[in-house]
Parts: sequence; C-alpha cells; structure tokens
Amino acid sequence: MAASFMDAIRADSIVKQFGTVQALDGVSLEVAAGELFFLLGASGCGKTTLLRCIAGLETPTSGTIHFGERDVTKLPPHKREAAMVFQSYALWPHLNVERNVAFGLEERKVDKAEIRKRVGEALELVHLAGMGDRGIDQLSGGQQQRVALARALVVRPKCLLLDEPLSNLDAKLRIEMRREIRRIVKEGGLTGVYVTHDQEEALSMADRMAVLNRGRIEQLGTAEEIYRTPRTAFVSGFIGETNLIKGRTIEVRGGFVMVDSPCGPLVGRVTQPDWTPGPGEEVVLSIRPEAWRLESGGGENGVTGRILERTYLGQRIQYLVETAAGPQQVVELNPLLVRDPGEQVVKLSARHADVAVLEA
Amino acid sequence: MNRNAAIGITAVVTGLFALFFLYPAFSVIGEAFQAPDGSFTLAFIGDVFRNPVYREGLWNALALGLASTLATFLIAFPLALLSHRYDFAGRGILGVLILIPLVLPPFVGAIGIKHMLDVDGSLNALLIDLGLMNPATPYDWLANGRFWGIVAMNALHLYPILYMNVTAALSNLDPAMEQAAENLGCTPARRLWRITLPLAMPGIFAGSAIVFVWAFTELGVPLVFDYTRVAPVQVFDGIKDLTGNPAPYALVAVILVISAVVFGITKYFFGRQTSSAQPRPKGRGGEVKLTGLRSLGCAMIFAAVFLIASVPHIGVILLSLSEDWYQTVLPVALKFDHYIEALGDPLVVPSIQNSLFYASCATLVDLVLGVAIAWVIVRSTIKGRALIDALVMLPLAVPGLVLAFGYLALSQEGKPLRFLIGENGNPAMLLIVAYAVRRLPYVVRSAVAGLQQSNPALEEAARSLGAGWFRTLRRVSLPLIGANLAAGGILAFAFAMLEVSDSLILAQQTEHYPITKAIYMLLSSLGNGHELAAALGVWAMLFLAIAIAGAAALGGKRGGLFRM
Repeated sequence: MAASFMDAIRADSIVKQFGTVQALDGVSLEVAAGELFFLLGASGCGKTTLLRCIAGLETPTSGTIHFGERDVTKLPPHKREAAMVFQSYALWPHLNVERNVAFGLEERKVDKAEIRKRVGEALELVHLAGMGDRGIDQLSGGQQQRVALARALVVRPKCLLLDEPLSNLDAKLRIEMRREIRRIVKEGGLTGVYVTHDQEEALSMADRMAVLNRGRIEQLGTAEEIYRTPRTAFVSGFIGETNLIKGRTIEVRGGFVMVDSPCGPLVGRVTQPDWTPGPGEEVVLSIRPEAWRLESGGGENGVTGRILERTYLGQRIQYLVETAAGPQQVVELNPLLVRDPGEQVVKLSARHADVAVLEA
Repeated sequence: MNRNAAIGITAVVTGLFALFFLYPAFSVIGEAFQAPDGSFTLAFIGDVFRNPVYREGLWNALALGLASTLATFLIAFPLALLSHRYDFAGRGILGVLILIPLVLPPFVGAIGIKHMLDVDGSLNALLIDLGLMNPATPYDWLANGRFWGIVAMNALHLYPILYMNVTAALSNLDPAMEQAAENLGCTPARRLWRITLPLAMPGIFAGSAIVFVWAFTELGVPLVFDYTRVAPVQVFDGIKDLTGNPAPYALVAVILVISAVVFGITKYFFGRQTSSAQPRPKGRGGEVKLTGLRSLGCAMIFAAVFLIASVPHIGVILLSLSEDWYQTVLPVALKFDHYIEALGDPLVVPSIQNSLFYASCATLVDLVLGVAIAWVIVRSTIKGRALIDALVMLPLAVPGLVLAFGYLALSQEGKPLRFLIGENGNPAMLLIVAYAVRRLPYVVRSAVAGLQQSNPALEEAARSLGAGWFRTLRRVSLPLIGANLAAGGILAFAFAMLEVSDSLILAQQTEHYPITKAIYMLLSSLGNGHELAAALGVWAMLFLAIAIAGAAALGGKRGGLFRM
C-alpha cells in the first residue's frame, strides 16, 4: 500500500442542521496527508456527523470538503474513495470473510487474480490469513473488527475513516487493537480520521486531535498540547481530570497572571494565544490532580487544606483535599508516606507553569 | 422461571395439538395410503398422478401458486422499498391502507369481479359504449382469462403479507450495511442487487412461502370463478362421494406434501435470522424526505395499489346497492333494499351471529393458548421449547382444506372427534377448534414478539416484590405485551370471520352457517341471490375493516405477525 495514494482532507465552515438541531456549527479543520487525526467529544457533540459528512453519507447544510485539491462536497459516497470502518462493522452476513473484503475491488472491476492477491494481502495485514472462507457469524468481535478494517484497506482508499471502531470490544482487546490500527495506518501511509469518545484512545493513538463540543471545535492540537495547555474549561475537564477554581485577575505580567482566588492569590499562565484577561476580570484556573504537590515545606501557589478521602491505587494514591476553594483532587505517584483522612493540616502547592488560566 | 408450569403448558399444548391438528391431518394422509384391507399402499397416490384430470389440477394449482407469488412480489417489493427509502406525504396512513386488502375476503371480491368482467359486465359495457367492441360478439374475459383473473385476485389480496415481511426485514437492517457498500464504491442500483436484496431474502422468502401455500391451496376464488380444474376445487368436489373414493384423500396428501416441502425448503435456507445479534446502529438510516412532485408520486403509487386492490370490493358494494346491473358500466340505480332484504333472509342474520360467535370463541382460545405458549418459548429454559415453537407454526404449512377434510372424516358418527358435534349436528365446537388451530400461529408470533421486546427484569422485579406468577402475568407481562396481543388477536379474528375451507365443508345445516357459507349458498340461489350475497359481503367487510384498522393502530410492530 503505497504512500502515493494518500490525500489531505480539508473541511471549511461545515454546518449541518437536522431539522431544528444544529449538529455542526461552522467546523473547519485540515488533516495533513499521512496523518492520524482524532475527532474527540462526548456523545451528541457532532463528531460522527462530521465524519459522515467527510464520507459523503451526510450532505453538509453549508461549507465545503476537499480531498487534496478536489472539491468532494457534492460527490456521492461511492465516488469518494474514502473507506469507512463502521461502529457496528456493517459486515454483510450473506457474504463470507473473503467476499466481504473483495467487495470494494469487485465494484472497481479489478480482475479476478488481482482481487485474490490483494484480499490475501489485506487479510494477512490484519492477521486473519487463512480465515477467508469463514462466515461472519463464526468470528469473534475482534476478528469482525479486523475484517471490517481489511475491507476498508483493501481498496487502497485515499483516506480511512473510523467511527468508534473499538467501542464494541472488551478492554484488553481494545488496547491491542489500538496499536494494530496505528501500525496499519502508518505502514500504509494512510490519512486517517478517527472518531471516539474515549480520551485514552485519542491520547495514545493520535498525531493530532480536535475536541468537539456542541458542534464546534473547542481545541485542535497534539495530545500533549491539549493535555498540558487546555484552552477552555471544557477541554481541560474532558481530556483528563482537573480541578477548576474561580477567581479574579489581580495582575497580568508576561504570559502569567496573578488571580485572587478563595484560597488566596494564585499564579498561572495564559494558554490561549489570542486572549489575555484584563485586570479584575473573572477567570477560571485549571490545575491537574498530578500538578498539585503534597508537601510539608513551601512551594509556588501554596494552599492549606484538610484530607477528606483517600483512595489507594497501588502505583498512586488519590486524595480529596478540602480547601477554601472547595475540594481538590490530588494524585501522588510513588508516595513517601500514606496520609490518613482527618484533622491533619496539609500544604498543597503547584508550579506556575502547571496552572492554566482560562476564560470564565 | 417456573419449570413445572412450563412443562405443564408444553404437555397440554402438545396434547391439544396432537388431538386437534396432527391427528386429523395424519388421518387424512393415512387414508391415502391405506388399501381396503388395511395394508399400506402407494397405489392411490400413483392413481392421482396417472389420472390426467388430477394431474392437470395439480399443475394448475402449482402454476396458480407460482404465478400468484411472483405477481405478489412484483407489487409488494417496490412498495416496501419505497416506504423504506423515502418519507413522503401521507406515508403513515397509506402504510395502513395498503394492508387492508388482506382482510377483504377475495371470495367476496370475486363476486364483484364477476360482475365487472362477465360477458354482460361493466368492462364489456364500457368497451361497447366506447365503440371498441361489437355488441354482437362480446368477449368472455372470465372464461378466457380465468387463470390470470385468479392470479390477479390472489396477488391483490395477498401482497400485504409480503409487504409486511419485506418492510420488517428492511427496517431490521443496519443502515450501515448499505452505507458500507456505497462507501466502497457501489452505485445505489447495484447496492440494491448486491446487498439489500440478499439481506432481505429471509423476509422475502418467509412471506413468499406463506403466499405460495395460500394461493396453491386457495379454494374460494377458483370456486367463484368456476375454475374447476384445479386441485383444491377437485378435492372439494370429491367430498360428495366421501365414502368410497380414496382419490380426494390422495390428492390432499399430495397437496400437503408439496406445501410442507415448500415451507421446509424456505425454513432451511432462509429461516436463520441475520444480523439480529448486531448492536443497534446509531446514526440515521438512508431515509430521504421527499418533497413536491416526488412525494406526491410516491403517495400516488401507494394509493393506486390500494384502489386497484379494492376494485373487486367496490364492485361488491355497487352490486349490493344495485337495482339492476346488467350490460351497463355502473348499476342503473342504487338503493339500500338489498341490505334490508338481506336482513330478512333466513340465511343472513343467523350467519352473522354464528360467525361472530365462532370467531370470538376461537380468538379467545388462541389468546389464552398463545400467551402460554409464547411464555414457554421466550421465558422458560425447558428443552422442548424449540419443538413447540415449530409445532405451533405448522398450521401455516397445512392447507385449510386438508384440515377441514380431516375434521369432517373424524367427526362422522362413531369417530373420535364426534364429541365436538353438538345436538342436531351443531358444528360450533368443531368450527371453533378448526378456526383456533389454524389462526394460532399469528397470535403466538405476536405474543412471542412482545415478550422478546419486553425486558424479563421487569417481571423479575414484580416477583421480587412479592407478586405470584399469576399476578405478575396479569399486572406486568400482559399490559406490556397488550398491543402485540391485540394486534395478533384481531388478525386471528378477522381471518376466522372469513375462513372458507372449514366453513364450507363443516357447516351442514342452514341454521349453523357462518358468513362465508351463507354467501356461497346465496350465490348459487336464483333471483337476487348475487345482490344479497354482495350485501352480506359488505356487512362482513365492514366488520373486518374496523378490525384491521384496530390491529394496525395497536400493532405498532407490524411484520412480526407473519414471520416464520
């Protein structure tokens, strides 16, 4: 599967309306050729609708979609060469594994010997060699998933669209298939768009991702960018866990802001490139549980509190710490000592760089 | 679940079935294989195939069955596809209207058709009026087009069965199945051929098998069309010399074997339900909302099929109102006299009362048995439940004529089922049993569908809160599946009201006639018999139209009723 088949995908101001429901509200994004791109969001955020617009299964109310230089907005799905892996797999029960995989090639009038060869290769790629004559209902969930993948890959699509392909698998298989899918997409040099609501899936597999909320893109970037510098409270809460503290700005200097919070002044940095809060403006601080440190000595952004709850998880301990700004989730890795819930007064601190200042 | 109750129900149902279904059916077949000295023989079967008249009758019945099934498919499949793919103006109402012809008795409709296509009927009158036909040499449509007339009547009557099956099959399809094909480069036209049609095959064949057996064994329509060279009519005529001639028995055995083979093949190849284990798909199906002319066009197609299917019955209504309908396009004058006159006829009022009584009792029996059987099939874990499931569906494969014949033979003086005949030869019990056995599959299917759709945890919750199994059934299970049961029951009732084979054969005295037999007798009486028969037919259709509208409104899940 040569890399020359891949195509960049560009969506411009896509709006999709179902009756009175606005599923997509002006979404624009660009997926580079050969990139594995994730659309991430809670159910109902519009991510599947966007994928279906790219596949041609929905027509956008307005906006355009380009594959490379070609405008495909009005092209029917069977002419797009964007192969899709469906959440339900959509394997046809009246055809066996081989015939399912061969389908797309038969539609393209590829000659018989070539079909046979390429189907064999595709099944090998997904580790199903020799299973061609099985019926669909004789396969396990994981095998069905891989047949669906082979069926999409065998036609050498310009891009590969995956709609929550792992959501019907058990946890162990899911982790295995993550690696497999990434390997196949990368080895094939495909442009992939992958829809999921599972943040771990996105963080572990994506080159870049877009977090969608209510039909809009909240943030677009690499896994690290989105986790470390969330630009909105929604993103910081959706990707990973976080503590949100409200406050008002006291002083803005460089990229850093001092904020008056219920537990005293805290300093954080602004993560949005085109926004800086004015003095006295209401803002939200986002502090990850692992950004809080529990220590007896001082440190940046010191806050005192009382331990409410403790959950021991082996490699880490989770505490819930009561502070003047409400309960804070705190995670300690490789802890020196285990603290008991009770009256004990503890000191929390967080580095300025680990505190994100967001629009309220 | 209560294992003992399940075993008890299974035993009772199996016993009832053995006595009232298997025994009569096999006794009919048995007669065909029994030489006068009691030994086994294939001679009578051989005689059937050697006799050119019977051979022709069988060929004709087969040809009628096949042609009717094909014609039914040609009507039903495009309709089902349209309603699956498109949303158009009035789809809801038209979807119900289109089902109504199923319960308009073709036996009654044939009367209307006769008046339209007769030598002196509407069509010829119209052609003569238009100057397209010489009045001196009118064309006899019925005599020359008898075969295709019956095919048309069957197809226009039976297409709703196939329509419901195909619609159900299509709506159970994961829309992603079709979208995946499109996504892989398949054009919509090819997608229909390669994906949609094969995936709908189980539904198509399940419906087609019912349609085929129905048309293959149809007695009423050929009878009205005077088409005597067809196997079911030959059997019916053969009854007259019941005592001596084994030929009708042998013919019945052949009919039964052919029907069973058709059902068996269908069940074997297409009985497996596909994709039911698949998770329900999210996202939308490929349903396209039509507007303007296209929407109107779709609606017109549905309305046209309904109107064409109703033409015979409109004919019946006209006939029942007509003063004089002879060599004219429409009746010369309309009046209500026939209705009043019909009510005064000694046949009419008692026959309505009889039919209502027989059909109500049979429906009640079906409901009680149907719930019990469905409960065993869906909720119990006993071994025999697959068997009982297959057993109760058997009446669909056995022509009504075969059973009627068996009941008749076994209820003669001194025979085991004689106890079903009341004083003065009253066949009420026998007819109720006959109706109930033949319509039971519909009620069982609908109850099974209902129970499968309702979560057993709802019943378990009631049990855990201290309700006994009977209270659980009454307060939780029955209300949950009430709509399904009502739909199945109403359908069973409607079919019982217009049952032909058992009614014609088993009711012997005038005062016990059900509606269909009364119509048949009126048709053969002189004077205004046809008009009176038509008036009675309209009364019957009125009852049935109300019943089917109720079933459609309550049913919700249509299609489940005719699945095998």
